[in-house]
Amino acid sequence: MTAMESQKRMSLSFDRGTLLLRGLQCRESPNVPGSSVWVWDARVGAWRCDAIHYASIGSTLNHKFSPHLRDDLPQPARVSWPKIELPQLRPEQAEALAAWTREGCRGQVIMPTGTGKTEVAFAAMAETKVATLVVAPVRDLMYQWHRRILATFGYDAGIVGDGLSNIKPITVTTYDSAYIHMDKMGAGFGLLIFDEEHHLPGKCRREAAILSTAAMRLGLTATPERSDGLHKDLDWLIGPVVYNMPFKRAKGSTLADFDVVRIPVALNDREQATYDQCSRAIRHFLISRRNDIPGYSWRDLCKESGKDPQARHAQKAYYLKQSIENRAAEKLRVLEDIFRLHNGRKTIVFAGSNAMAIEVSKRFLVPTILSHTRKRERLAVLQGFAEGQFGVLVANRVLDEGVDVPEAKVAVVIGGQGSTRQAKQRLGRVLRRSGNARATLYEVVCENTKEVMRSRKRRRSDAYERTVHRRI
Amino acid sequence: MLTSEQSIVEYKAGRAVPDRLRQKTHRHYLDYAEKILSVYRNGIGRQRRRLHQQIEAVFADEPDCPVRRIQAFCKLLDDGSAFQADPSGEAGKLRLEVFSQAARFHPLVEQPDRLFEHEEKGVKSQLADKLAAPWDQIEQALYADVMAYQKLERFAGCPDPAALLSRYNVAQLQACLYKAESMTVTATDDLKTIVRYAKLARLLHEIVRLGPSKYRIVFSGPASVLRGTRRYGVNFAKFLPALLACKGWKMTALVKTPWNQPAKLVLCDKDGFTSHLPPPDEFDSALEESFAKKFGPERNGWQLIREGEILYDHQKTFSPDFTFRHKTGTQVFLEIVGFWTPEYLAYKRQTLQQFAHHKILIALPEKSIREGATPGENILTYKTALKIKPLMETLERTRTENTTT
Repeated sequence: MTAMESQKRMSLSFDRGTLLLRGLQCRESPNVPGSSVWVWDARVGAWRCDAIHYASIGSTLNHKFSPHLRDDLPQPARVSWPKIELPQLRPEQAEALAAWTREGCRGQVIMPTGTGKTEVAFAAMAETKVATLVVAPVRDLMYQWHRRILATFGYDAGIVGDGLSNIKPITVTTYDSAYIHMDKMGAGFGLLIFDEEHHLPGKCRREAAILSTAAMRLGLTATPERSDGLHKDLDWLIGPVVYNMPFKRAKGSTLADFDVVRIPVALNDREQATYDQCSRAIRHFLISRRNDIPGYSWRDLCKESGKDPQARHAQKAYYLKQSIENRAAEKLRVLEDIFRLHNGRKTIVFAGSNAMAIEVSKRFLVPTILSHTRKRERLAVLQGFAEGQFGVLVANRVLDEGVDVPEAKVAVVIGGQGSTRQAKQRLGRVLRRSGNARATLYEVVCENTKEVMRSRKRRRSDAYERTVHRRI
Repeated sequence: MLTSEQSIVEYKAGRAVPDRLRQKTHRHYLDYAEKILSVYRNGIGRQRRRLHQQIEAVFADEPDCPVRRIQAFCKLLDDGSAFQADPSGEAGKLRLEVFSQAARFHPLVEQPDRLFEHEEKGVKSQLADKLAAPWDQIEQALYADVMAYQKLERFAGCPDPAALLSRYNVAQLQACLYKAESMTVTATDDLKTIVRYAKLARLLHEIVRLGPSKYRIVFSGPASVLRGTRRYGVNFAKFLPALLACKGWKMTALVKTPWNQPAKLVLCDKDGFTSHLPPPDEFDSALEESFAKKFGPERNGWQLIREGEILYDHQKTFSPDFTFRHKTGTQVFLEIVGFWTPEYLAYKRQTLQQFAHHKILIALPEKSIREGATPGENILTYKTALKIKPLMETLERTRTENTTT
């Protein structure tokens, strides 16, 4: 065998998110039939593949080339937990964990919000005892994982993101930071946990999974589907769906029962006048364009807006309409009524934007959680809300997903885009079980505007089966 | 640098054309540049969102101005500014205090009644009294740490309107490169600088010699060989200013359109972009400069070219200080070692061994030669300046060896 000579000094190493196999020539492919993951890299004179393949190629390589192959990859550190304070898993959580373990510690667990996905992840960490990276969608969630890891394991996890880069055997990060930094830290972990995994398959973010050697992977979500269909890729980025708990099973059991109340509000005369004027301007512009160019679309308009002041005015009119909907003065009045009606019950308000959240906060002097709220203030506000010091909490969109909110019984949506996922996640926020009290979700929408359409779209989700319409 | 959201690129006929403000077509932008610079110069103490509104107002009646261009200008101006960042979290403390005190009056109503007696205005003025400041002021300070509400503290600015426009043009080029998957540079000059800065930007290269002092270099990142990826777009963007400062190059970057179609960004040193980096120094040391002067551009059929070639072996590159090219085709390199330490000499020796199949002369200071040691025949020694005569003898010897072998 001619390859034997060169096999004497072969090495496998981690190179910025990829694996490099040195010591073989271009003609001596390390690929085995049916799997051509290795590509010859003439720039460095070695074979290269994505780090994600490490688990599957490691044994083949050793089998084929040992003892000539030296594996230079660092072994993920073993972790000994200072303590483990994990509650007894509920049957469905135990079921999920067992299914994941059966699949070789690779795969996705789908459970509705509020049914304890985090505990499943902690049970997996407690069992595997290996260096683990937790990837969360936003900073808030990253800090929340950090807090809960500290409470559960007594372990002060490293943080990568929010301006910090402190890599430890147990580290928490965000999808955006994972994309940027995985080429540096991709060889250090044995287990990856993707919280709200539906964020992973995006064109860039998926690299967080591809650039890591971790053999064990756990994906968590309540809503795996993506409108672009890319969720199929989670099967190889993470592993197959190992457990799927339908939403219906959660309703009325772990989660509280709930009502959905829609409150239409009217724009005031001034707002309505501007709104109609904007609508007319846009319609006018589109009609005149479509006379010349049939099928002229919103995208065409955006493209033209740089060259054509008319198109730009139409574009501006559209954004103005949106902001009128979001910030209609009447919404503040309705909010006052809801606060009166539910005085003494914990209420969360979801605003469509930072500006609206701040407006509500300034009007009623109630605390906000915004994306840039710092760790200490966030803690104080959440704790104050949990202990009843604050009766109301205003959020922009950051509480949309997964952030643990101390139980609330009333939620008010006064703005935001309509999508099935957001609706489910928001419900999960208010529907946490507490005694027998029913939760109420209010949707405050402007009448005769696009918002009504969005609200209808939201309600198509099975979470909104029973909706009451009410005028205040 | 801009964000992708501020990038304007036009795609036509397979080409990517980043937004560019030209003398010819955008002369009037000099006025705008002057105006928006003065908004920031005179805007100390103003909120970021107010400044941005003012910038927007400057362009309100300009027919040729996409929203993204305005946002890009705002970003460039913000990059040259310092805003009050509230590092000690004053606003956060104030919020907690105000909201805690207001909590027991919740809900603050417009019209008090028997059940809810806390009227908004009354409570607010009561709180203002307690905090000993007018309510307006308190309300302003309440969210002063939020980006949009931060106040401008300093503006380092831009020397003049033209400089702002050229910074804008380069920034749009860079933003276009965020979408790039690879970059190919064909270069005849400043080869060493180009390769060095690409390495600093953590790019891998693939070098092909096209002819005397002419190279094609493909830059990409580790994973590029496995799949098309935009991972290294930021690296290309960081490398660009160094390339713009060089001369004698052409560049083609492969980018993906938003519709996932391939397109090319094509650029060369004659395109008139201005880098914020100075052009590379012609000589590394006075020793090299005086030698080049003494030797002249040509001597006895030997042409002298500074850093004219790159020797390469995978990712290891070596660009000797001088190339002597004889009209018969023989090429000899000269590397002058000025500064030296034992470690540096060892490193140089290793480099020379790696490229031993090339004719490389090395000039060493006499002091660096151990006493009694006989330097190898490719070693020239010097005291203060390199002598021409022994050099010419060595060159000729190499040439005859070359022709006889």
